[in-house]
Amino acid sequence: MIEDISVMIAGKAGDGVLFTGNVLAKILKRQGWHIVTYRDFPSNIRGEATNYTIRASLRKIFGRGDRIDVLMAFDCDAILEHINSLAKGGIVLCEGRELTRLKPAERMDKTFHPFPMRILAKDKFGNEIFKNMILLGGLCYILDLDLSVIENVITETFLKRKGKEVVRRNVEAIHMGCEEAKKRIESRERHSLRRKKDENRLLISGNEAIGLGALVAGCRFFAAYPICPATEIWQMLVHYFPECGGIVVQTEDELAAINMAIGASYAGTRAMTSTSGPGASLMMEGFGLSGMTEVPVVVVHVQRVGPSTGLPTKSEQSDLLQWIHGSHGEIPRIVLSPGSIQECFEFTIKAFNLAEKYQCPVILLTEQDYGQNYRTVTKFDVTKIEIDRGKLLTEKELLGIKNYKRFAITRDGVSPRALPSMKNGIHMVESNEHDERGFRDESARNRTKMMEKRMKKLETARKDLVRPRIWGHQDAEIGIIGCGSTLGPIREALAQLRDSGIDAKFMQVRTLWPFHQKEVKDFISTCKQCYVVDNNYEGQLRQLIYSRMRPGIELKGIRKYSAYTFRPKDIAEPIREAQ
Amino acid sequence: MKINPEDMVVVTGIGCHGRLNNYFRAYGFHSLHGRALPLAQGIKLANKTLSVITVSGDGDAYSIGLGHFIHAARRNIDLTYIVVNNMIYGLTQGQTSPTSQKGFVSVSTPFGSKESPVCGLHLALVSGGTFIARGFSGAPHQLIRLIEKGIHHRGFSLIEVLSPCVTHNRLNSYQWFKENTYDLDHEKGYDSRNKERAFLSLNEKQKLILGLLYQEERPSYDDLSLPGEAPLIRSKMQVNQNKLDKILKKYE
Repeated sequence: MIEDISVMIAGKAGDGVLFTGNVLAKILKRQGWHIVTYRDFPSNIRGEATNYTIRASLRKIFGRGDRIDVLMAFDCDAILEHINSLAKGGIVLCEGRELTRLKPAERMDKTFHPFPMRILAKDKFGNEIFKNMILLGGLCYILDLDLSVIENVITETFLKRKGKEVVRRNVEAIHMGCEEAKKRIESRERHSLRRKKDENRLLISGNEAIGLGALVAGCRFFAAYPICPATEIWQMLVHYFPECGGIVVQTEDELAAINMAIGASYAGTRAMTSTSGPGASLMMEGFGLSGMTEVPVVVVHVQRVGPSTGLPTKSEQSDLLQWIHGSHGEIPRIVLSPGSIQECFEFTIKAFNLAEKYQCPVILLTEQDYGQNYRTVTKFDVTKIEIDRGKLLTEKELLGIKNYKRFAITRDGVSPRALPSMKNGIHMVESNEHDERGFRDESARNRTKMMEKRMKKLETARKDLVRPRIWGHQDAEIGIIGCGSTLGPIREALAQLRDSGIDAKFMQVRTLWPFHQKEVKDFISTCKQCYVVDNNYEGQLRQLIYSRMRPGIELKGIRKYSAYTFRPKDIAEPIREAQ
Repeated sequence: MKINPEDMVVVTGIGCHGRLNNYFRAYGFHSLHGRALPLAQGIKLANKTLSVITVSGDGDAYSIGLGHFIHAARRNIDLTYIVVNNMIYGLTQGQTSPTSQKGFVSVSTPFGSKESPVCGLHLALVSGGTFIARGFSGAPHQLIRLIEKGIHHRGFSLIEVLSPCVTHNRLNSYQWFKENTYDLDHEKGYDSRNKERAFLSLNEKQKLILGLLYQEERPSYDDLSLPGEAPLIRSKMQVNQNKLDKILKKYE
């Protein structure tokens, strides 16, 4: 019985790879399996090679894993490209005529199921477009998937948007594929997947989880400029905001996006913007404005591969230091790094509370990897969402204050906040250095005082931040430190290492700034060897750790900058070799 | 104008005009160079009961913030945009600005500017601005009237103000503006609702026009985005459980 399976669907952009993958992921999820998807697609609408891997498991899984078990190929290039990543005993579903181009060695240990999907689609439906569903039907037969579940998924996908007829034809195509497979494939070649009860889980992407988090956190203003791979957040909010009384603005650029969000937040609405790559560079200016004027704002940065235009649809962790040091001058800022889709949801709510409590910009630094890909998560608990607006004054409270000072020096650095339209709260907000009332003041005495006041907020915030989390055996002597999307592959690498008799533990850094130097140092001090995993060239997390402490032992870097995320073996192998 | 001080926000950019906030008893935001408009639009969208006055200089509005200007006009967000035009960068000590004339000599163009000036009124007209006017600091009565009208107008109103820089700009003085302006408000039969006529006026006259060039009524972005009287800041932060269940269902 199979307990863990990876299916790759490969073809050209425009083949419907994404659609087929989404349907398959949903079917497997409904059969009670844990899902992790991984899309590898070009920055292109039609024509270039693309693939979509769906890993499903009966156990909880954290990443895309190391192997591919089934390859559903729409063309010859897809087979040639991926045949060598296919596991021993792997299955290939393909048109058939391309097989002659494979070398005997490439065909070894694999089962090929030729399937005339295009001919069938044309004969029956007069349109090649149905080839996906026919091939999917074939796979359903091989894996013995529940056809009624499949019909439900197809109906949900198409009924509203495209109508009954489209549902009928797609279901027919799946049945046809299934029947065709029955004729061609012997029953001993089937690999029945166990069906479990679909537990209380969601199949959702990180970007959508952030959209949902923003919605329940009370965010009602969102301004952004279209950019890969962050746009899904917007597409989600634009859908649900109207009925919740929210506004989404498509701005002319990212400069406008962040400034509009700051404006809306200053007026009293929880506001957010999202971006990636070059958009983040443009937002740096507004980021500084938020820090200087103490207007809360939440910025989501879904990291893609840079520099410059880079590889817009692929994942990297190369913008860590940008947000920690970015914008001219020095401001208090909080940078959160969720490692999972669950954390995308939770940290978004946290981000809004932190932004308002400490009246500073909060960056939610995520990655394309779990931003655009789907995974199963335990259904979000939306019944007890805490909304904390910090020192936001009511008009009544304001009326009791004599000589209100918006930027009053306080013990914790945070000043009571009034909103425009409130009586007795009239004040000035200055992007120049200013005094407690908000009026420009360039004196050394004032500058020193206000600088310390603003930066003090980070010290106050410390108790409120998301602390690092430790996975694995506490007393292991090998330590691994990582953040963000490396959570998945590192946790799976721990298991692989344990299988080879090596005990290791992992510290997931979840707030990048202000940095938890004490916790990280304590962790390192319990290790004889320590590795820092970075999905970037410069080893930015490793640099960050070194910049905050003298760790005592040498921190070895494990880096990857191929525009692909880590697989567990990329982390386990170098550690195993060093023993 | 019967606006309570606490119901008005004055947003300024960076430049000599940026001092203006200090002379108002109203909420004020001295923002970034070129970004006054996006900030002001965010404020207006979050609380449409506020009167939002945005002030920029010619560098702020027509150079570094030009992209925002065009888009604010086409969105027709209900705010008043006052652009103080002195045809020079004053705060940075006298460089050529986007509205300086061709051939203008300054510390940044000692051999004369090679570029043609930008006309903000023209840009507002082609970008869908719904209230477009120009005043002159040498004619304060007309200016007050235009600003009042602009604030009353529902939609994006541009009031450019010719405002000589007596320190750095020796060419475009009060006298120069007096000789080089043409007042539409005094033109008999001028119809500010006629867009074609507005274009012609900008093109025909050899002088800078003054007065109300163009006005039309068009639904504003803020009203389209959030119909009704209640501002966005009054929207409930909690989401109804039934609604949430429906949303979550999609991912099950």
